[in-house]
Amino acid sequence: MRVAREHFKSPKGLPVEEYLTPGSPLCAGCGGLTTLRLMHKVLGENVVIVNAAGCMTLLATFPFTPLKSSWLYTTMASASAGAQGVRDALDILRDSGRLPPQEDLQVLVLAGDGSTYDMGLSSTSSAIHRGLDFWYLCYDNEAYGNTGFQLSSASPEASHTSTSIDLIHQRKKDLFEIWRAHHPAYLASVSAHDAVDLAEKVERARSLRGPKLFLSLAVCPTGWGFDPEWGDELAHLAVETGVWPLKEAVAGVVRHTYIPNRFRPIADYLEPQRRFRHLFQPHRNEAVLAQMQAEVDAYWAGLGTESTLTPRAPETEHAPRV
Amino acid sequence: MIRIRFHGRGGHGVKTAGRIVGTAAFLASLQVQDSPVYGAERRGAPVAAFTRFDSAPILERGVIDSPDLIVIADETLLADAGAAVLAGQTSAAAVFVNAPAGARLNEKYQILPPLVTWDITARTQAVLGTASALSAGLAAAAAKLTGLISAEHLLAAVREELRQLRATADVVDKNVTIAAEVFDQLSTVRFAPAASGIAGEVLTVGYEGVNLGTASILAPGNAQQRNTGTWRVERPEIDYDVCTRCGLCQLGCPDGAIKIEKNGFPVIDYDHCKGCMICAQVCPLHGIARTKEVRSW
Amino acid sequence: MVRQLLTGNAAAAWGARLARAEYVPAFPITPQTEIIETLADWFADGSMPGKFVTLDSEHSMLTAAGAAAATGVRTFAATSSQGLVYALEVLYSVAGWRVPLVLVNVSRGLSAPITLGPDHNDVLAARDTGFVQLHAETCQEVLDSVLLAYRIAEDARVSLPVLVNLDGFFLSFTREPVEIPEADRAREFLGDFTPVQPVFRASRPVAQGVAVLEGGLYSYFRYQMHRAVQNAVAAHTAAATDFERLFGRRYGTIESYRLDGADVALVMAGSFTTKAKAAVERWRSQGRRVGVLRLRMVRPFPAAEIAATLAGCRAVGVIDQNLSPGLGGIFFHEVAGALAAHQVQPPVLRSFIGGLGGKDISQAEFDHVLETLESAHAHDGPHEAELLFTRTEWDQVRNRLALAGKTWERSAT
Repeated sequence: MRVAREHFKSPKGLPVEEYLTPGSPLCAGCGGLTTLRLMHKVLGENVVIVNAAGCMTLLATFPFTPLKSSWLYTTMASASAGAQGVRDALDILRDSGRLPPQEDLQVLVLAGDGSTYDMGLSSTSSAIHRGLDFWYLCYDNEAYGNTGFQLSSASPEASHTSTSIDLIHQRKKDLFEIWRAHHPAYLASVSAHDAVDLAEKVERARSLRGPKLFLSLAVCPTGWGFDPEWGDELAHLAVETGVWPLKEAVAGVVRHTYIPNRFRPIADYLEPQRRFRHLFQPHRNEAVLAQMQAEVDAYWAGLGTESTLTPRAPETEHAPRV
Repeated sequence: MIRIRFHGRGGHGVKTAGRIVGTAAFLASLQVQDSPVYGAERRGAPVAAFTRFDSAPILERGVIDSPDLIVIADETLLADAGAAVLAGQTSAAAVFVNAPAGARLNEKYQILPPLVTWDITARTQAVLGTASALSAGLAAAAAKLTGLISAEHLLAAVREELRQLRATADVVDKNVTIAAEVFDQLSTVRFAPAASGIAGEVLTVGYEGVNLGTASILAPGNAQQRNTGTWRVERPEIDYDVCTRCGLCQLGCPDGAIKIEKNGFPVIDYDHCKGCMICAQVCPLHGIARTKEVRSW
Repeated sequence: MVRQLLTGNAAAAWGARLARAEYVPAFPITPQTEIIETLADWFADGSMPGKFVTLDSEHSMLTAAGAAAATGVRTFAATSSQGLVYALEVLYSVAGWRVPLVLVNVSRGLSAPITLGPDHNDVLAARDTGFVQLHAETCQEVLDSVLLAYRIAEDARVSLPVLVNLDGFFLSFTREPVEIPEADRAREFLGDFTPVQPVFRASRPVAQGVAVLEGGLYSYFRYQMHRAVQNAVAAHTAAATDFERLFGRRYGTIESYRLDGADVALVMAGSFTTKAKAAVERWRSQGRRVGVLRLRMVRPFPAAEIAATLAGCRAVGVIDQNLSPGLGGIFFHEVAGALAAHQVQPPVLRSFIGGLGGKDISQAEFDHVLETLESAHAHDGPHEAELLFTRTEWDQVRNRLALAGKTWERSAT
């Protein structure tokens, strides 16, 4: 099942403009980079990216930047607060007639899961709470990637990282639900594999004022341990196995934008990755695989029974400012 | 003191090669320093590692600017100006390149010191079944050329370092086989005592204003000046007889190194394509072929 | 010009208002909170245009402040103690961006043990961040220093954040008569903010806060920041000249109090310098030639001026309201370094630690300091930092320890 598309019918319909030039020092096959490039394409020009420490911090390494847009590296914990400062300053200048409309910028926080799920959560929580008008892209590669792939609270059950001690009891934090409980104007999970779904979501969020949050599963050949050419296929498998649901929440109301007609077994997604190799070699660990499969099955069995949040009307671009 | 500088690509195992030589020298009761270049270890990207050993305490630190021996894991690195593999070559007693015996590289790349080549790739391919993990062969070459490390210490170091990387017993044994063979077949070179290079001007830095003095970049998109095409180990090539102009390869390229021409056909920017080969996988008609660019992979 | 009773906190808020700060990201912490409450009222009633926003922490607050300054808006923030050290990482960041803003710190001792009383360990933890630092003695000086701070911060030779420090309680909650400059005179002193480096605009993308992975480049940028901080002396001098012309009050990087012809000099910073001045008056009436050097500009450290001022003194005593465990007083070592670098060698140079966590420095303790200095000789050799502590305080400590159920331990050294 795929929801009807309103803005982009096919990949060919996506904007052709690029705001990220090649020549960045990120790993070959970086899934996070693909997501950022696609999102920027749809967002358009006139963006300032506010970055938290992570792999993407290396995008702008003196004297080079691949971005045709602006960039501010802050710290690991406070990118959303940086976004607040930039947005507020632009608003102050615009409202006092010192910033012509064509000079205004959209503010996009760019952070990995280490920052997003862990130390950056406080600053983002409060930015959402204040209704800050900004975009947020979390490239979730499920570990502290830039330091060599250590355990983060986004690391899924049984995935090996260089600091995993208790593989079986580690669980991925449900950030989508944590963010949703804040009633952001727009919230979506996306995949670089489904560029049209991603573009649709950016376009749907555009008219809303307030936090527009995107959580993207960022395939990581270096940390996950697979040949980079399989990056898109793994992103695809994450969706088709149901491990990475594609969904959105407008003012807290959840809608899945794609539901596989037939789910593939999660082992299809896990087995090609070195971080899950211990589940398959030297012996297939049926008990853990069955438990992980059951958890994914339970998620989809509960579809439509998400606890409903008290509805709040989304603010549109035309609504009066508070 | 012997200063060895190893050059390779992320994945070649030059860090491990440097450690094997360091461990071997340590087992020989020598003073040792070994270290990798930190922070740039991307797959396919040029990387380096350094090993120093001496019978006396080592009073140096950091990168090796004036190497006694340069060990190069793949010929393509010589063509990559950014990798600067021959920097400081005038002090070197030899340059070792992993290439077939008799490869004529001196003139092509202006290698000044005596050149030694040996085809570690072919041997590694034959023994291990893959040609990208070259650490044992590179370390063995370096150890033998110096003439200061015994086969016994070298092979013990290969075992030790590969065990630390959690290699299986079979892989460890095969690497020992490769190292022994390389060690056996190469000859020691003559090292002249290196002159300590104390040269260069020291100057006074003044205040230069806020714009120069801040780490900001005012040239958006200038990363295009950085040639990441040299990271590529495989080269994707579009078969335009097959291409339907669907554009999926362009969307799937992480780096945006595929452009769509006015006629709708995709064109690969080889100056920047890192060779991840996602484009070949996403092409619905399998219309993107691959050719190996770096022999040792 | 209005003269009224203001607390140091209110004076700081007035400084921000008269500087026409348009953006105030905030986070409450004792004893600073009154500043942001005052400013919140003024933003609410429209007397300050712009935006006031409460963040989730000082770390976020200062990030927002730096980001807004990098976007080209005049920004003000205030914090204290734990808040300052919680934000410390960001102090380094925003100074590295070379963006001008003013941060007021209301000094308070650091935890543990958690306390509310003032000392200078919090603000001195920020001494290596690249912020310019001004330390105030009076509520009037707090207001004036905020205005001066914007002139320094926005000076093209500097382009850095400036920290204005006032002591908690002794200034923050203490009312004194303060002259509040007229708004138009303040505007004459401090014009509109014109950024001296590119800010975030659609027509001119800029990457700021960029990673620098080469040691040579990193050294270059850090050294440029050092030179920029040093340029704050010239920027301060120019601003102070204008300030005196407009408002009649004169400020230097240091304040020399009765140091002409002095044999003995005390060196201090902050509000307790007032008490040292009282002691000086008393001693002078006894015919003893003593003066006080007050450290006002702490970064850049005015080493040459300090050395020139103390040249000719037989004895110098530095009273630090801070303690670097294992080293001693921070200012003592900075002053000693300044003297040595300028080949000024007072025969006697002594270090005293006083007034930590709000502890008083009594006149008896000042007398003890002077007597120590007067009776010391050049050949006494090196001397440890001495903690100023009275019998009354000692008895009180013993009493509290007993109440806490502590038994006397006969411990050695």
